[in-house]
Amino acid sequence: MTLPLSGRKILVVEDESLVAMLLETILEDMGCETVGPISNVDEALTTVSDGTAFDGALLDVNVAGREVFPVAEALKAKGIPFVFSTGYGEGGLPPEWRGQATIQKPFTEATVCDALIKALGVGSA
Amino acid sequence: MRCRKLGCALKELAKSGDLAVDLASAFDASPNPYMLLTPDLRYAGMNRAYLDVTRQTREALLGRHIMETYDGAADGENADQLRDSFERVLVTGEPHHIAVLHYPIPMPDEHGKWGIVDKYWSCTHSPVTDDDGVLRYILQHTSDITELQLLRRQNRPTGAAEAQPMSALDAIVSGRLLQRAEDIQANNRRLESERNRLVEMFMQAPGFMTVLSGPDHVFQMHNQAYAQLIGHRDIIGKSVREALPEMEGQGFYEFLDGVFATGEPYEGRQSRIQIQRIANAPLVEAWLNFIYQPIRDADGKVVGIFVQGHDVTNDMVAAERQKLMIDELNHRVKNTLATVQSIAMQTARSHTDPAAFAEGFQARLIALSHTHDLLTQRHWEGADLRDILLHETDVHGATRVVLNGPPVILSPAAALSLGMIFHELATNAAKYGALTFGEGRVFVDWAVANQSDRRLTIEWRELNGPPVAPPERRGFGSRLIERNVRHDLAGDVKLSYPTDGFHAEISVPLDRGSPS
Repeated sequence: MTLPLSGRKILVVEDESLVAMLLETILEDMGCETVGPISNVDEALTTVSDGTAFDGALLDVNVAGREVFPVAEALKAKGIPFVFSTGYGEGGLPPEWRGQATIQKPFTEATVCDALIKALGVGSA
Repeated sequence: MRCRKLGCALKELAKSGDLAVDLASAFDASPNPYMLLTPDLRYAGMNRAYLDVTRQTREALLGRHIMETYDGAADGENADQLRDSFERVLVTGEPHHIAVLHYPIPMPDEHGKWGIVDKYWSCTHSPVTDDDGVLRYILQHTSDITELQLLRRQNRPTGAAEAQPMSALDAIVSGRLLQRAEDIQANNRRLESERNRLVEMFMQAPGFMTVLSGPDHVFQMHNQAYAQLIGHRDIIGKSVREALPEMEGQGFYEFLDGVFATGEPYEGRQSRIQIQRIANAPLVEAWLNFIYQPIRDADGKVVGIFVQGHDVTNDMVAAERQKLMIDELNHRVKNTLATVQSIAMQTARSHTDPAAFAEGFQARLIALSHTHDLLTQRHWEGADLRDILLHETDVHGATRVVLNGPPVILSPAAALSLGMIFHELATNAAKYGALTFGEGRVFVDWAVANQSDRRLTIEWRELNGPPVAPPERRGFGSRLIERNVRHDLAGDVKLSYPTDGFHAEISVPLDRGSPS
């Protein structure tokens, strides 16, 4: 069985440890390697800028009371694909981020996988 | 206008000095009763005719209050009518007429016998002002209209048998004329009281109201609510631009100009306004619902604007707060669901047997729910560490789990994390550790160090349990503990497995930002 995202490194920004653990497990099942998980915006910004290698990112929108958008800006500038995860759904995003790949909490393994495949532009095998 | 002319004429005559005597004698010689009152309604002067009619002497009247001499001479309604008339002259500075005043006076009859005789009068009260325009006197001019009134009565069908002969023309003219005058007077009084009632309603209305006049929108009148809106400034007679200069650039002047020019009303909904409530203080923000309604004259030309509205600032603030609360609630609910999902998935991975899965999953769910209960009791402001520990350990008995430490209030996020951590520790102790045996004990000690940058240290020590060996693989429980402490609480955790009992040391900062 070939996993489309096998071997990809995914940065996870999520402050709720149980949710982060869930994402880690889901990513592991997909053959991905988790970078992080990171629980605050500042550390996430450092990880994006310090040359840590990863292929895509999953960003919780509300990270410990702060919005994750500065991290999204930094990723966009570097051309790294990412997916928002939020309890509000895409409608809860500010207008400038509408249309960005988004998964709504709680999510299934399949939604996470589909969103990452789409964002990373991986063709199905 | 007549009052000013009259006032001027009197003044001119008075100034001419030698004319003063002529004036006084002319005044005295008039067959019509005249008298002058001071603004506090005391007699300042009167002519011969007035003294004759009232059967009084000048000495008896000068300086006395008019109502003192009036009381008892007529019925209360007429006294009120007279008092109202003086009041109006004082307030408006304009003359006022009483078409018919019933005022009986003492008079001798044809046999020289004295008695009270019904008399009807028509009087005019005119203001007399000084050079500075200040009202000095009220001049009363009275005409005896008793005969007209009697004629009218005689003309009525009921009194027809004893009617005195009189010309039909007289009867028609005097009767109708007088009837009309009385009708108009009654009508005026009715309109006056209706007007007062409307003004009262306008003033007391809960919404703000003001009447603006002319193309510059000059304030003519406004109610209490409007005064409150603009911080009780003195605005009457000023244009909107003069009276409320801070409105410049906020669009309101232009909306008023538009209404005046086009005659189309303008409605503002939840309009934000920056207003000066206290002189020299910063502007205050408010939200208003209002309408600008054109006021037209008889020809349909716009002559002013009626402004009416409500301050909806409180509603706006409440709506904003409600939106924030709903967003926060949604965020919490979705995060809780994601947490539950994670617990389910992780529990499923470590239990192959469905019954064991259900037991473990439910126990974790209930632990989470307990912490929610504690937080709800304190309106989600925090929860006490001891209460959380008690919730997770009291099934094992107070003698077997010994809690020792000061009261510590935890933030909601820390409470939820530590609740799950204690649940995992207690479950492990009951399954594999000190709580499996009757003799085993768990000691939980905690302390807060460093008051300025507080750090909470918790020690969980198990004693007298079965011999301990480190686990072969890290299960969900220990992963959850480590992840929660490091990830959610930014703290440190050390789990050790000495043979005589499991030992956990947890150290977390207490005053870090505000985690979601």
